[in-house]
Amino acid sequence: MFNLEIVSMAWQALIANKARTLLSMLGIIIGVSTVIAVVSIGAGAKAKVEEQFKNLSVTSLIVFPSRGAGNSKLSVDDLNTVLNESKFVNEGNATISGNSTIAFGKETQSGTILGVTENFLDIANLEISEGRDFTLEDNKNRAKVIILGKTLAENLFEDSTLALNKTVKINNRQFAIIGVLKENGSSSFGTSYDDSAYAPFETAQQNILGKNAQVRLVFLAREVELMELAEEEVTTILRETHKIREGKDDDFKVRDPGSMVASATETSDTLSFLLVAIASIVLIVSGIGIMNVMFVTVAERTKEIGVLKAIGAKQKDILTQFLLESVILSISGGILGILLGISIIPFLKDYGAMQSLNGVLLGFTFSVFVGILFGFYPALKASKLDPVDALRSE
Amino acid sequence: MSLIKLEDVHKSYYLSNGEEIPVLRGVNMEIKKNEFVAIMGESGGGKTTLMNILGCLHPLSSGKYIFEDADIGYVQDDFTLAYIRNRKMGFIFQQFNLISKLSALKNVALPAFYAGIKVEQRERDAAKLLKSIGLEDRIYHKPSELSGGQQQRVSIARALINDPEIILADEPTGALDSETGKEIMNLFSEFRDRGKTVIIITHDPKVAKMAERIIFMKDGQILDENYKLPNS
Repeated sequence: MFNLEIVSMAWQALIANKARTLLSMLGIIIGVSTVIAVVSIGAGAKAKVEEQFKNLSVTSLIVFPSRGAGNSKLSVDDLNTVLNESKFVNEGNATISGNSTIAFGKETQSGTILGVTENFLDIANLEISEGRDFTLEDNKNRAKVIILGKTLAENLFEDSTLALNKTVKINNRQFAIIGVLKENGSSSFGTSYDDSAYAPFETAQQNILGKNAQVRLVFLAREVELMELAEEEVTTILRETHKIREGKDDDFKVRDPGSMVASATETSDTLSFLLVAIASIVLIVSGIGIMNVMFVTVAERTKEIGVLKAIGAKQKDILTQFLLESVILSISGGILGILLGISIIPFLKDYGAMQSLNGVLLGFTFSVFVGILFGFYPALKASKLDPVDALRSE
Repeated sequence: MSLIKLEDVHKSYYLSNGEEIPVLRGVNMEIKKNEFVAIMGESGGGKTTLMNILGCLHPLSSGKYIFEDADIGYVQDDFTLAYIRNRKMGFIFQQFNLISKLSALKNVALPAFYAGIKVEQRERDAAKLLKSIGLEDRIYHKPSELSGGQQQRVSIARALINDPEIILADEPTGALDSETGKEIMNLFSEFRDRGKTVIIITHDPKVAKMAERIIFMKDGQILDENYKLPNS
């Protein structure tokens, strides 16, 4: 028999004892707001990880020189060697990078210049918004062409659509802008894709960055499952090519950024789980508080329960009434906790907190659950009271 | 026609050490429909236990309780028990036992709530009842804002809301002065005049005298089913 009347009766019973009600709600309020704060920090951390690595293919392996660039034999030739010999790797590119100044008329911008082989944009998941990608010929001919990142193009031309086919000066040489990238937002090795300019590998090495610029190779394994094999294989091939004797250290490093993503995600998941677990303990403790209060309430109102039974209340009616009281108690606490939780998130911005519906839902579900779980036993006891014994109590 | 018939009813309580305390020891009695009966007797004689049995708050230890031709002395089913208490009986207590946080109106309407009557209907009925006993300007008052006599009248209205067959009143005037007690007894007489049955427990001969018949109990048995008060 669930209707508004019985809800209002339960509500009246609760407001008849304001201080007690509020105190027993306190645990729920703190528990729920903790859950919300914690989940929002977790969501923020996760979003940050995803943002950072969103351009990363899970099958990619990155190879870079391990010592100073001068001592490492890692070069663009290794790219083809590996691609020709490898069973587990089927795609790859080479990049060199360095800083330079890009000028259009009087407007100058300093930025990162990346010299890239022709399939770089594909592998890095970058898209052209205006113009075209590099071709094999661009690289072979050392064509003086350049593609600009979105932000860089905007800084030079105000409107990025005006950049196409204009000529910019880098190292006192003229480069034709053949393309502008779509806005991307992410970065690689600390350099934002949007702030960079891209030139064909040979062009960049010859005309901008010089022979000594660090080469970085990226390979894609055929399958995620082959990552470990691919890593071993690439290492073996490169050691052979570089003629590194047994027992000597590699002059390059191979990194598997996919596993970095996985471990970063895992760390943030573990952290969230741990914090939610702590908040859950707070909620369970607050549930025990509610159970305590409900036992006191039932004991205080034993006589009333006897009267209700004498005038025709069924066990179910009594059970519903007391259960509703604890559920209303915990839901009210839950709602206050949600309000508190939402209002403290802005203060947690430094920890990357982010409003998250999940936290609100989790907190609310938890508070309803606590109310039912810990209110049930006292309510059941109330409903099973013998009417004569109950009437006799004072 | 008999409304209530008790045959050799025994009722015992058990202490925690298992010791048996017999309270009713073979009660036989019959109450006809439309009677107004007072039960008298010494304290500890089993009057309240008898009343609780009549009100289906207790099962019997042995014997038979026939109510409207049905043996209901051993009913365990909560639904049936609640139904009988709710529709057939109206309980009235010495200490009124109103729900302190509810208004007079809500108190009176409460048994109708358990009977599943919709809120508009039951509050209309409750207001009508309160008006008929002269409490129309008190319907939104809480019990603590009412005098003892007013509270007892509210509890009578509560007992009547589901139009029961029988009123069971345990010392209904015990906490009231004699003038107020008389008003309460007049309400019972009016109820009886509508063809219903009233059973009250009382110590007070003046109150008992207003009933049609007095049953006298002693030591858990009926001493006299038709007791005559000594002339005083």
